Amino acid sequence: MTATATTPRTHRHGDEPLLSVRDLRVTFTRQGEEPFTAVDGVSFDVRPGQTVGLVGESGCGKSVTSLAIMGLLPTRGNRVEGTATFDGTDLLRLSGSDMRDRRGRDIAMIFQDPLSSLNPVVPVGRQVTEVLERHRGMSRKAATPLARDLLQRVGIPDPDRRLKDYPHQMSGGMRQRALIAMALACAPRLLIADEPTTALDVTIQAQILSLLKELVQDTGTALVMITHDLGVVAGLCDEVNVLYGGRIVERGERHELFAEPRHPYTNGLLASIPRLDSERAPLTPIPGSVSDNLPWTSACAFAPRCSQPVEVCTRQTPALEESAGRALRCFNPVEVTR
Amino acid sequence: MTTTTEPTGTAPEADERELLVDARGVKVHFPIKRGVVFDKVIGYVYAVDGVDLQIRKGETYGLVGESGCGKSTLGKAILNLEPPTDGSVVVDGTEIASLKGAELRKRRKDFQMVFQDPMSSLDPRQSVESLLVEGMRAHGLATDDKATAKRLRELLAAVGLPAAALKKYPHEFSGGQRQRIGIARALAVEPKLIVADEPVSALDVSVQAQVINLLEQLQDEFDLTYLVVAHDLAVVRHISDRIGVMYLGGLVEEATADDLYAQPLHPYTRALLSAVPLPDPAAEDTREQILLVGDLPSPSRPPAGCRFHTRCPWRQETRCDTERPELRVVEVDGVPASHRVACHFAEEIARGEIQPHEVAPTATTQEWHGSDDGDAIGPASLAEAQAMAKHTENTAGAGGF
Repeated sequence: MTATATTPRTHRHGDEPLLSVRDLRVTFTRQGEEPFTAVDGVSFDVRPGQTVGLVGESGCGKSVTSLAIMGLLPTRGNRVEGTATFDGTDLLRLSGSDMRDRRGRDIAMIFQDPLSSLNPVVPVGRQVTEVLERHRGMSRKAATPLARDLLQRVGIPDPDRRLKDYPHQMSGGMRQRALIAMALACAPRLLIADEPTTALDVTIQAQILSLLKELVQDTGTALVMITHDLGVVAGLCDEVNVLYGGRIVERGERHELFAEPRHPYTNGLLASIPRLDSERAPLTPIPGSVSDNLPWTSACAFAPRCSQPVEVCTRQTPALEESAGRALRCFNPVEVTR
Repeated sequence: MTTTTEPTGTAPEADERELLVDARGVKVHFPIKRGVVFDKVIGYVYAVDGVDLQIRKGETYGLVGESGCGKSTLGKAILNLEPPTDGSVVVDGTEIASLKGAELRKRRKDFQMVFQDPMSSLDPRQSVESLLVEGMRAHGLATDDKATAKRLRELLAAVGLPAAALKKYPHEFSGGQRQRIGIARALAVEPKLIVADEPVSALDVSVQAQVINLLEQLQDEFDLTYLVVAHDLAVVRHISDRIGVMYLGGLVEEATADDLYAQPLHPYTRALLSAVPLPDPAAEDTREQILLVGDLPSPSRPPAGCRFHTRCPWRQETRCDTERPELRVVEVDGVPASHRVACHFAEEIARGEIQPHEVAPTATTQEWHGSDDGDAIGPASLAEAQAMAKHTENTAGAGGF
């Protein structure tokens, strides 16, 4: 089957944000050790029908951000500050049982490894009906045909038979589809996808991405896409947030961000990935590794790896400055060439 | 890296370089055994099923494919880490496939391997010095202490690590640095061929580029030949002179990197290339995607005829289902002789005489009896998953031995 890649809808600027994260800060504390701030004041908005990307490398805090919003961090050993307002309620202040009511109904999440997020000893169909029973108060009997329809909708062939399958009996792509079916069971208004295609082969990844695109378009669900893959972001997200060391360093509409990256980190990432669609050009890696980071409190964390640091970078914390739909946290941004 | 990765002038002339690896009809079949007391072989996983592969001196050959296609197994078979079931592998004039014991260990000096996950391929209780010296000792290269110390410093400098690293242990390094140690270890015995199995897929994007550049720079410096096995097509395109695309145990297309990307001829290669997300929104919005339906069939029951026919949008009646296509040179304008494809209808598809059609997703029905192809690391293996699926079904049903 041949299909032209569909264009994500342009987001409606007038809409009120569905999810509004403000100054989210997650600190892990451990006895006898320095507290570690994994997410350091992250703010972003997600509007209905919009796809927002959180991009960054391992350790940048993108997954912790999503877990904190979903209330899935362990209850002890960490401190979550800030607000995450969803439809007027602050998710971070909800009690355990109130949050459980919301999770799976209003907000759903898909994870990277579908095998470890499905229960291995429960048939997949049962895991889908469970969501419907819990949130819609349906009986299992009434929920089963709905579960069947959901599996069919996410493109699982022969759904009647697959309802009875256990997770290990499915392929990786199929499991991810089952997980998406579970997430969609209650038609959530917000879907958080944490590296949903990283564990999959590239042809299967293409299938899942096109499914997600289609679902967002059909149902108007807002999608938060967390990934390290700039390629995935480029095709899917309306707005892209680039994270480094627990903070957003750059934000922009995807076309603008990829055409004119202003932060040296974003620019460096784009220069360091080999391109499939252009002539072989030498790669320009970002030197060093995340372990070279400076603390944000008194400097720019990226300064030691930066291609164009200035003196102030190691003395002062750069602020996230917004202008014309873009946001940038840098003292010496990359010049716009065009 | 400018001299060796760029095809010098026209690509076919590069063929004059001497062959380093000449593999013919390589097959690696893993037996599937079942039984309570006595193991009985009840089938085979056809991980590599008849592959011819030639690598010339100083060249980088990229092997791509999805998980379960047999690319890693082929890489190992070339080093005799996985003895081939059938076929011959000649490396630098010596038949490797039949070598055993001390003779094989001696020859291994000339071909080394770099693994995907540097953490699990380096002994956590060995210091970097001991890791590097071990191979040199085994091959009698570390007789003089002074010369050895000098050599170690040279190795570390070559891979961009400080001399202080010698006394440290693997856990003290970051992922990228660990991969550098893995590369230094391979270099320590002055090999001619390095097989790198997913050398950068465990690394962060910014660090990936460092390691890719390092591999290219070392190739220039030490006159190395690489076989790079990877699933990331962009990485493979960047690093390779020639590329082989594998599907279910066989090569389906082989060409120079630029030819392959300029004009992919096999339907599978076309689908694979169109599925890779590009970090360019404008290109993403406009490009044509060929979405393949369904999953990779199980390598224990490969489809008859062309192995790709179950998912191929260009499949033609009967011939594709019954006759397995050979890798052959095709007669399409502008396609050089170095570009070979295993597709009966490559010409017709390239000329647009055959149009793609809908493919109905088939629930995989082939039977399976357990075991996987050893490709457990990397993307969740579809073959493996189906393997397990069928395994349970069968054990529940048959329950015998």
